[in-house]
Amino acid sequence: MNKRTLATLALLPIATAAAIWTAPAKAEDVTIGAIEILTGPNSRYGVAIKNGFDLALDEVNKTGVLGGKKLVIQYEDTAGNKDQAVNAARKLIGIGKVPLLLGPTLSNEMFAAGPVANEQKIPIVGTSTTAAGITAIGPYVFRTSLPEGDVIPVTLKAAQTKFGIKKVAVMYANDDAFSKSGYDVFKASLEKLGIQTLTTETFGSKDSDFSAQLTKIKSLNPDAIVVSALVEPASGILLDARSIGLDEKIRFIGGNGFNSPKLGDIAGEAADGTLVGSPWFIAKADAMNTKFVADYRAKYKDDPDQFSAQAYDTLHIVALAIDKAGAAEPEKIKAALQTTKYTGVMGPFSFTDNRDPADSSGVVVLEMKGGKFQILK
Amino acid sequence: MFDSFFFSYQSLIFAVGINGLLALSMYTVLAVGQLSLGQAAFMGIGAYVSTLLTLDAHWPFAAVLLAAMVVPALAALLIGGPTLKLTGVYLALATIALGEILRIFCNASDLTGGALGLSGIPNKTSFGLIFAVLALALAGFVMVARSRLGRAMEAMREDEVAAGVMGVNLPVMKLGALVVSAMLAGLAGALNAHANSFIGPNDYGFDQAVTILSFALLGGIGSPFGPVLGAVILTVLPELLTALHDFKLVVNGFIIVIAVLFMPRGLLIWRIGRVG
Amino acid sequence: MFAQILQQLPQQLLNGLVLGSTYALFALGFTLMFGVLGVINLTYGFYFTTGAFLALYGTKLLALPIWLALPGAAIVTGLIAVLFDAALLTPLRRKKAPELASLMVTLGATLLLYSLMTATFGTEIRRLPPAVISHAAIIVGGIRMNWSQILIMGTTVAIVAALLALIRGTRFGLSMRALAENGEAAQLMGVDTDAVVRLVSLVSGALGATAGVLIGLNFNAIQPYMGESMMLKGFAVIIIGGLGDIKGALIAGLVIGVLEVLTAGFISSSYKDAVGFILLVTTLWFRPVGLFGRAPVKRA
Repeated sequence: MNKRTLATLALLPIATAAAIWTAPAKAEDVTIGAIEILTGPNSRYGVAIKNGFDLALDEVNKTGVLGGKKLVIQYEDTAGNKDQAVNAARKLIGIGKVPLLLGPTLSNEMFAAGPVANEQKIPIVGTSTTAAGITAIGPYVFRTSLPEGDVIPVTLKAAQTKFGIKKVAVMYANDDAFSKSGYDVFKASLEKLGIQTLTTETFGSKDSDFSAQLTKIKSLNPDAIVVSALVEPASGILLDARSIGLDEKIRFIGGNGFNSPKLGDIAGEAADGTLVGSPWFIAKADAMNTKFVADYRAKYKDDPDQFSAQAYDTLHIVALAIDKAGAAEPEKIKAALQTTKYTGVMGPFSFTDNRDPADSSGVVVLEMKGGKFQILK
Repeated sequence: MFDSFFFSYQSLIFAVGINGLLALSMYTVLAVGQLSLGQAAFMGIGAYVSTLLTLDAHWPFAAVLLAAMVVPALAALLIGGPTLKLTGVYLALATIALGEILRIFCNASDLTGGALGLSGIPNKTSFGLIFAVLALALAGFVMVARSRLGRAMEAMREDEVAAGVMGVNLPVMKLGALVVSAMLAGLAGALNAHANSFIGPNDYGFDQAVTILSFALLGGIGSPFGPVLGAVILTVLPELLTALHDFKLVVNGFIIVIAVLFMPRGLLIWRIGRVG
Repeated sequence: MFAQILQQLPQQLLNGLVLGSTYALFALGFTLMFGVLGVINLTYGFYFTTGAFLALYGTKLLALPIWLALPGAAIVTGLIAVLFDAALLTPLRRKKAPELASLMVTLGATLLLYSLMTATFGTEIRRLPPAVISHAAIIVGGIRMNWSQILIMGTTVAIVAALLALIRGTRFGLSMRALAENGEAAQLMGVDTDAVVRLVSLVSGALGATAGVLIGLNFNAIQPYMGESMMLKGFAVIIIGGLGDIKGALIAGLVIGVLEVLTAGFISSSYKDAVGFILLVTTLWFRPVGLFGRAPVKRA
């Protein structure tokens, strides 16, 4: 037993040293870092993002950056854990010496890893972090994903003008950061639009019984039910609403978590009539988007989602900024990002002074019909 | 070279120290033959209390750390008090309930920022502070282990009834151990919160409680060094073998099963009383 | 506004009874294991999940009707429970290890099994084919219910009655009570304690699986961690009902279910899940033996 203990102890420093020497990339390449969820239960988000990056990377490297240098992305996996996100940021900055970071996938991870990058004055660009307060972390934190604060008001406004919705019930998963931040935006937008909130009900993101909340909501007779949740509990709510006999005319209005084809797959016809706003839609007809969708399908034999679309645009924006900066140096890239303009599959893009996306004209409101989303007309 | 190494692995190095403290807090309870699954909750209480005092009340850091020890100790009294005269199973289940109540409260309350947690916590923890606290705690436990108190604890662990007959005050020892362990876990939580800039309610759940238990069981509770060794191994190993990331919980579970069935004394089998 | 809220009361009470029945149904096998074998066996939550997954694949891949898939899943899971007991707990019993050792070993095993299941099946919610059971509403006096809810409540009551009859009225029940009271004495009196241990594991595992299938059916949601969240509620039920107390588990389950729903309907849904745990701590302070005092399994 003692021998084994000693052996274990002796191995630790050797293996640590080995880990340090796995440093990457040739000197003439421009290597940037990306921190995403590539394994574990939430890996589908990170993998969609990586696919988007890689597709755009192929296009960028046809000509290269900074006069023909190859752009390389060094990926670090977080498995959805914010401590791993911090470790990844530190590793990429300290050992990889990257001049720019992409990611992380979740807002939670950004709240942990963003301050590290900001403190080291390395620009970090979130492509899927939609929570409020992300760019307030500091002057080196950017994001290309439209915050929910830009999408949700468009959805609610459409519901108000098209369907005359005056009083709503609100539901959200209170144990999940993504759902809670969506709820905060809903709450503010409802107040601003003068829509009355009859009640606010919470649930757990792993719950499967929503009958108590929905029974209460049913007794209050709302015009619509506003829900901020990930797609699994969201589908459960739609199904439960049917089984407690909620009036089918009461529409559900969802946050970004509803924006998934799975909603229709799981909830079937119970999902019909559901409204959701989206920064991107697969059936947008402009030439750039149809090319992107076709290329993506050819390369990955799968449909892109909004995460791949956002990542695809982001890599083009970043490559433009590196070219504009004239050198792979963090300060210069940061300054260049601030003035980069680009029109991609999401629509026209530039950063505000606060490093958020400036233009929300690409937002579309979608309606579920027969288990599939289509643009609300 | 050293600078970039230290920068890159800073959070890992901090985590080693903090997990070492958590392992010691688990050891305190196991050493009197009890089981607590509330160490993660005590850590969470320490983290939240300290963060709120720093962000909202602007207390000096030393006072913040003190409060992060006192409040979890009160929670330990509330949870541990009624279970003293019952079998150990009740304490184990009651501490699980504490963890759930904490999680539900933190998610529901505006004070704690709900599921978004609290961010923008200033970094006040240093390498020196974490490891000084760890060294101090270790020294304290070694002294206790070699004293009359240590022998009483060992007697309780081996045979509680016999220890009671021989005059060990069982309720006082059990509650004392739980309170001390809550204070240590709370302190670790506060140090951790002030080393990261962000805390959230789902960091202190059941998985974390079980992970802390696996530190202690891997190292063994024959001496206070065992749990710390367990914490070091289980913190560093997944970083080295990235394939282990996915299976971290599988490994922790496996270690607990193997430790209980086949190596009840853990990796470090010598005892303090017998050394020197 | 208040009248509006009040009008939901009858429906909410039914929601609470259904939810409470699921808690009680889950807790029955769990508390039986403790009552007879004297261990908190945390792998129980895994049996719950396993039963649901077996029934899911039985109905999906083998196209079994639910009345075949349910007992099939229960028997297979019961056998798995016997195996786990032999591998994890019997060695500790032989060594006369402290009771917490068995709690810890099942804790480690559960963590391992859940993580392996999550790695294999992912965390996505799976659903039984819609044809398995009708979710069509039956409306009685303005209260809506459906067949799966009636099935849950009926099964729960039926299993409680069957278990009490088994414990009080059969030879096997007598040996169970003997083992619960004092293992060594039971052995001296000629009870084959190993056989009783195996049978109790089989019955508990099968009960866990039955609960998993019915609850998965009712909420139409099956996922690897469904046992974990249920387990947390299960702790509250068995402590409030009294460890090892079958009737106590039924009453405690119903009480928690109804109070949770009323909390959500009339106070705040944010604190719905706290009800059980606050009751648990209160019980420990004021009535640690549970609602009905000493467990009937142990009362000869």
